[in-house]
Amino acid sequence: MARLELNSIGKGFGPVRCAEDLSLTVESGEIVAVFGPSGSGKTVLLRMIAGMFEPDDGDIMVGGQSIVGAPPERRGIGMAFQNFALFPHMTAQDNIASGLRAKAGARELASRVTSISRLLKIEHVLGHMPRELSNGQKQRTALARALIGNPEVLLLDDPLRNVDAKLRYEMRLELPNLLRRSSAAVLYVTQDYREAMAIADRIAVLIDGRLAQVARPEEVYARPASVAVARLFGDPSINLVEVVPATDQGCLMCEIVGARIRLGSFHDQAADQGPCWLGVRPDDLAVVRSASEDAIPARVVAVTPMHERAVLLLRFPDGTEWLAALPPDSPMASADDGVFVRFAPEAALLFDRATGLRVDVPHRRQAA
Amino acid sequence: MDHSSLASRVFRRIALALVLVFFMFPIVWIFLMSFQTNEQILRIPPRILFEPTLANYEALISGHLRTTAGNLEISFMRNLMNSFVLSSAAVLLALLLGVPAAYAFARFKFRLGETIAFTLLSFRFAPPLLVLLPLSLYYQQLGLNDTYFGIVWVYQLIALPLILWIVRGYFEDISPDIEHAYRLAGHSWREAFTRIAVPLAGPGIAAAGLLSFIFCWNNFVFALILASADKQPVTVGALAFVTASGIQYGQIAAAIVLSVTPTLLLALYAQRYLVEGLSLGAVKG
Amino acid sequence: MGMLEIRNVDKVYRSRGKPPVHAVRALDMEVKKGEIVALLGSSGCGKTSTLRMVAGFESVTSGAIALSQRRIDELPPAKRNVAMAFEGYSLYPPLTIRENIAFALKAQQLAHREVSHRVDAIARMVEIEDILDSYPRSISGGQQQRVSLARALVRDADLYLLDEPMGQLEPQLRAVLRGRIKGLLAERGMTAIFVTHDQTEASALADRIAVMEDGVLQQFANERELKNRPANLFVASFIGEPPMNLLETQVAHADGGFCLSVGADMAFRIAGDTLDQAARKLLEQAQSVRVGIRPQRIAVGTGDVRVRVVSNQWLGDQSHVAGECAGHLLIAVTVNRIAARPGDIVPFALDPRHLHVFGADGTCIRHAEGG
Repeated sequence: MARLELNSIGKGFGPVRCAEDLSLTVESGEIVAVFGPSGSGKTVLLRMIAGMFEPDDGDIMVGGQSIVGAPPERRGIGMAFQNFALFPHMTAQDNIASGLRAKAGARELASRVTSISRLLKIEHVLGHMPRELSNGQKQRTALARALIGNPEVLLLDDPLRNVDAKLRYEMRLELPNLLRRSSAAVLYVTQDYREAMAIADRIAVLIDGRLAQVARPEEVYARPASVAVARLFGDPSINLVEVVPATDQGCLMCEIVGARIRLGSFHDQAADQGPCWLGVRPDDLAVVRSASEDAIPARVVAVTPMHERAVLLLRFPDGTEWLAALPPDSPMASADDGVFVRFAPEAALLFDRATGLRVDVPHRRQAA
Repeated sequence: MDHSSLASRVFRRIALALVLVFFMFPIVWIFLMSFQTNEQILRIPPRILFEPTLANYEALISGHLRTTAGNLEISFMRNLMNSFVLSSAAVLLALLLGVPAAYAFARFKFRLGETIAFTLLSFRFAPPLLVLLPLSLYYQQLGLNDTYFGIVWVYQLIALPLILWIVRGYFEDISPDIEHAYRLAGHSWREAFTRIAVPLAGPGIAAAGLLSFIFCWNNFVFALILASADKQPVTVGALAFVTASGIQYGQIAAAIVLSVTPTLLLALYAQRYLVEGLSLGAVKG
Repeated sequence: MGMLEIRNVDKVYRSRGKPPVHAVRALDMEVKKGEIVALLGSSGCGKTSTLRMVAGFESVTSGAIALSQRRIDELPPAKRNVAMAFEGYSLYPPLTIRENIAFALKAQQLAHREVSHRVDAIARMVEIEDILDSYPRSISGGQQQRVSLARALVRDADLYLLDEPMGQLEPQLRAVLRGRIKGLLAERGMTAIFVTHDQTEASALADRIAVMEDGVLQQFANERELKNRPANLFVASFIGEPPMNLLETQVAHADGGFCLSVGADMAFRIAGDTLDQAARKLLEQAQSVRVGIRPQRIAVGTGDVRVRVVSNQWLGDQSHVAGECAGHLLIAVTVNRIAARPGDIVPFALDPRHLHVFGADGTCIRHAEGG
């Protein structure tokens, strides 16, 4: 089997740049999630690999051979689409069989279709036309069609987007095992960070046509490369506030709405940084009743229970809004309460105000 | 929005009935006329009840028309055959040329693409006579005057733009992903075109073919000028009923009934097919 | 007395040549003044039909709807004094965003200054101040949805109806906007009903949630009650993410209580004194019952149920561990990161106190203690 290599791909449509200097290697048997907000160029990237567009610059290689310029049918690529793209005038069986590019004998074809459909649990609907299938079954059929030819490269374009929540969760558990069987190099496009973290070995975060970070899921979550990446991971998303860190008696301090917050000595590199974004994830916040020097006063605007947690919308006296996600068994605050917000220094992430890049924290580096 | 009162519902029914009567009346009247003699037709006031006669149909089918001024040979059946041959051939040719062209316009953005497509459509805007005068001169030079091929060719002015524009819309409605999926499975673009795009646009191609067939069938001017008697379709052939002894209303009516019936049947048969449309489950997201 | 009363409402869609569709059956519910209610269910459950009947876009087949003690089901939509945000946004294309939002206020004949003040305030809340002078076609789907929300919420109405109000919102904004909208509705004492298929949205925004399925109201309660005391098997399996683990068990008597067993690998003892009389009677008669346990209630790393790990996914703030035992898939969610690989054998603890028990017909025999 072969690895997929993208070498500084660039692509524009008129003045719009959809890809800029994209380089990425996906090993055989590896699943890389391409994750980013809508319009960041994820789909265009997949389509360049599949051969529907050609890149303006750079090279795409499969197993060391360039595939740029080759027609789609000769690239050895399997693909599943967000809108399923089943052939509406063929049964599920024929849809799946059409994916077997090698002209296999009738008996072998039938046995391959049977085994892949058993794996995907769609044996009972093989005789159905696409319009008679549920969305979940359609997506399984489309996956079977993409997998049956044992492609060297498998492209999945947000395959669970149009599947209902329960099935999406089921597929999220099933897919990694399923994909690993095929030993293809897998690129998995998604707009859901949880899906990316659940399924992928590595996540490639794509923002405005550029790769902002490529790393293992837990690394991206704990050590986002930039403030833009940090904002994309986590639900509710990370709280941000502008601060100007300053050293005071060997300790890095910053001020948020009057509260003096110790960032600790390990942040010392930030001392020369000038203005920064300080980010704290909602589940790293503690909401307390009593005032202290390092607690930010806030008013609870609303309590919105979410994923077994209570999410509080907090408004600081200067109008800044933060979200706090509290464990279900914590004492409940209710709307309009006056409270104080604290967080542990090591929970804070600092980003350069001008470039948005994370200011490296030695403490975190040791931990990771 | 079903807050309508009884009165408004009754009103809606009546309005609907009126519209229906307005559109159906000529067809019904012509149908009745075709079973009457000229005298019965011209009687004033007209009567709904009459003794039906098949004389008009007899005359048309046998080709002998008896009028007060004498006997006349007419070639209605030949005209009907001509109509059939000319329209079918024209639609067939237009489909062969138009479907691939429509696909190209739908799928590929190329320089002047929109301009070319619009120019083709604009042929439909010009009055046919404008095209006809220079065309008849060319045809004389090329020896295409009074040939089946010449008429079929000029019929492309009617059929081709229609097919191009209707079928293009249907191709555009098919998600390109479906064809991409087929190509990634190891099929060339020709296979994707013939096995995926064309079958999926089938209802649209049928609708466009049918419509252009009807337009070709109903055409009058092109054949009037470019064809002689033995190649004329029914529309032109019907002129023969304007005889020295007056207009043969009965035969005209019968001729209309006979010439309308095939297209009407075709339309009725295809209606079911057309309504089915492109509501193909898997295409939608 | 309720602000909105829906009394025994049925909705049947009849179209020629097709069997009639019974979209809503004998729906009876009451919304209090100032309350936020979610109609939650999968597509085709009757939630949108219900909302449209309240708005006046569908007639009721039978039954009655009253708003502020006034019968409204025979009134045209414009006379019901309800504001609605549509799922498809339905913004007016020739008007700017500002004009779109102000449109309904102008009909209320408010002073010009008051209108622009209100539009600015609501625009700030949903973060569309910078696009107020744009036209609908030039803004993104998420922005259109925010405009549509603003247009409904800016009005003075007895009732606010929101159809899938947040489905298309940008993920980073969703949690904050939920909080702000909930805060606004509470502050102004507005009564609102919204339709959603997303239970996260329902539990975040609503005071009470009406769970519907097949046109029937399954349970109407607050989020905690739905989670802790589901009325039936449907609600239990529908509410909760990921869904409740369900196991088919054999019932046996054991020293005054019951033993519910799955093959030879799992058995749960339920003491008799934790059951009320009715529940005990039902269990005595049953041969087999369904038990359910929420993924968040399964402890990983301790306990006597040994599972073979199928997948272990860390999502940044929680671990989802799926394991197989006796042919059943069990899913556990923990806030700690679990170090297990597929194929490993790991103990799961399923505490009998956390079990919900359901009879063969789906009715609930016993609720878990504390949910």
